[in-house]
Amino acid sequence: MRSIVLQHMIDNKDHYIEQWRVSFDQLLFSRSESTIKPQYIQDEMKDEFVSVIFDTLTMDRHSRRAVVKRFVERLIHDGWIVSEFIMSLQKLRRIVMKDLSKHYDKDKFVDLSSELEDWLDEQITDLTTEFAKNHEEVKAIQKVALKELSAPLIPVFDKIVVMPLIGTIDTKRASQIMENLLEGIIEHRAQVVLIDITGVPLVDTMVAHHIIRASEAVRLVGAECLLVGIRPEIAQTIVNLGIDLGNFTTKSTLKKGVETALQMTHRDIITNEEPVTGGGLK
Amino acid sequence: MSNHSCIEIANEWGIVSARQAGRELSKDIGFGSVDQARITTAISELARNIYLYTEIGKIDLEEISDNHRNGKARGIKVVASDKGPGIENLRDVMVDGFTTSGGLGAGLPGVKRLMDEFDIESIPGEGTTITTIKWLR
Amino acid sequence: MRIPILKLGRYLLISVQVELDDQTALQFQEDLLNKIHQEGSLGVVIDLTSVDMIDSFIAKVIGDVVEMSSLMGAKVVLTGIQPAVAITLIDMGVSLQEVQTALDLEQGLERLQQELGG
Ligand SMILES: Nc1ncnc2c1ncn2[C@@H]1O[C@H](COP(=O)(O)OP(=O)(O)OP(=O)(O)O)[C@@H](O)[C@H]1O
Ligand SMILES: [Mg+2]
Repeated sequence: MRSIVLQHMIDNKDHYIEQWRVSFDQLLFSRSESTIKPQYIQDEMKDEFVSVIFDTLTMDRHSRRAVVKRFVERLIHDGWIVSEFIMSLQKLRRIVMKDLSKHYDKDKFVDLSSELEDWLDEQITDLTTEFAKNHEEVKAIQKVALKELSAPLIPVFDKIVVMPLIGTIDTKRASQIMENLLEGIIEHRAQVVLIDITGVPLVDTMVAHHIIRASEAVRLVGAECLLVGIRPEIAQTIVNLGIDLGNFTTKSTLKKGVETALQMTHRDIITNEEPVTGGGLK
Repeated sequence: MSNHSCIEIANEWGIVSARQAGRELSKDIGFGSVDQARITTAISELARNIYLYTEIGKIDLEEISDNHRNGKARGIKVVASDKGPGIENLRDVMVDGFTTSGGLGAGLPGVKRLMDEFDIESIPGEGTTITTIKWLR
Repeated sequence: MRIPILKLGRYLLISVQVELDDQTALQFQEDLLNKIHQEGSLGVVIDLTSVDMIDSFIAKVIGDVVEMSSLMGAKVVLTGIQPAVAITLIDMGVSLQEVQTALDLEQGLERLQQELGG
């Protein structure tokens, strides 16, 4: 059975919509990223919110939640803040209460107002839950993006770049890192890349495998890899696990790695002093 | 059915056409450059095996979608089929370095690593069908 | 289709600009070896910047070319292998370990100069 209050609201829908709409004209819906937004966008959003609330009056909770969910997704996508929506619902409460008090006697009014409270609570709960859920999702996505970004390539000297690896490396991240690495080498025309694993908590066979693959790919595009930042416990696990870092040049610290890299490219700098095609063109 | 194509492999040119079709379709589906290269290379391997070891065969390329994998997943399905001699020692051919033709023997195990799903069906004397899928992530 | 081979002093320069079908690859192998013989070249740079796919067959042809050239006394440097191609080769388990590489033609020539002592 539909409650008396809801029926009352449905019967007087136009009247309430008009009143409510006027009441929240003063209210400024805001978006997080920008303080000023055009009036018409405000109006559009307000109209939409009004229809979400009133169109769902006749629905059961389940279908209503679906509508609210879709609405909230849009709000979040466009960066609206939830508090104004809640505030405007309080305004609606006041309007309906006032009206009910005119139509019903005191005892009935108490019953009805608690009905109204229940309905409003449900609205607010649905709205905020959807918001919270969505925010969690957005946050989770942002986390992933952050992780992917956490393999930046830093040019330190001409032809030398450093890639500090931070955090755990799984297969998915490893392939992202590999792509960043190779694209970066080409972009910076690097000849030596130092992979710094100081920030990698654990090197197992899997991680070692990814690092070896990366260094082979680096060689194919025409540069060389140095593995630096090998802490004592990492050296121990590598040996204990029998991981073969074969023809890998490794250094304990980034500083030592940079020195080696400089030596490696220094040779190039000396030969550079002669014109490259000198022998051939004469 | 616009995103479906079938390339006959009867000679070397078939190999080139198959991989070109594969590159185009994977680009259309939205694969990044690395996956495009993976898919094209896998197709090239399968097509070359047909050319080398059988008289004639075909490569079917198809865009697919799967609603079961959390949400909607899109991908490319590559089916290489022939009525050639078949492969008797299925386990051997999946080992890196196994070859009967002096190749690198990287073909089939390589295809398996390049793609997400790999299935091989072969009946000696009747032919071979290899089905592989790469999902868009 | 034939891949043009340019002569630059004691070096040969090749920039692969065409789709590498099997015939073209094998023809190239033959042409290059002939040219090395004819010119007595000491070094070869093969630039693969425009190549968007290397499968196991082409990888084998390239590996063979490098080995054969080296038997004839010419060092080969491969340049410009694209990231996507490199990753695919590694996935395939083909790491072309014996082959020298450089980022681009210019660095490839530098590398030859360096190895052959100017
Ligand atoms: N369609 C097929 N029909 C019959 N035999 C096949 C077929 N595909 C592969 N084979 C057999 O499987 C073996 C392994 O194939 P695979 O592609 O892995 O290596 P390969 O072709 O010998 O060398 P590569 O591909 O590295 O050049 C082949 O040598 C061949 O004997
Ligand atoms: Mg093969």
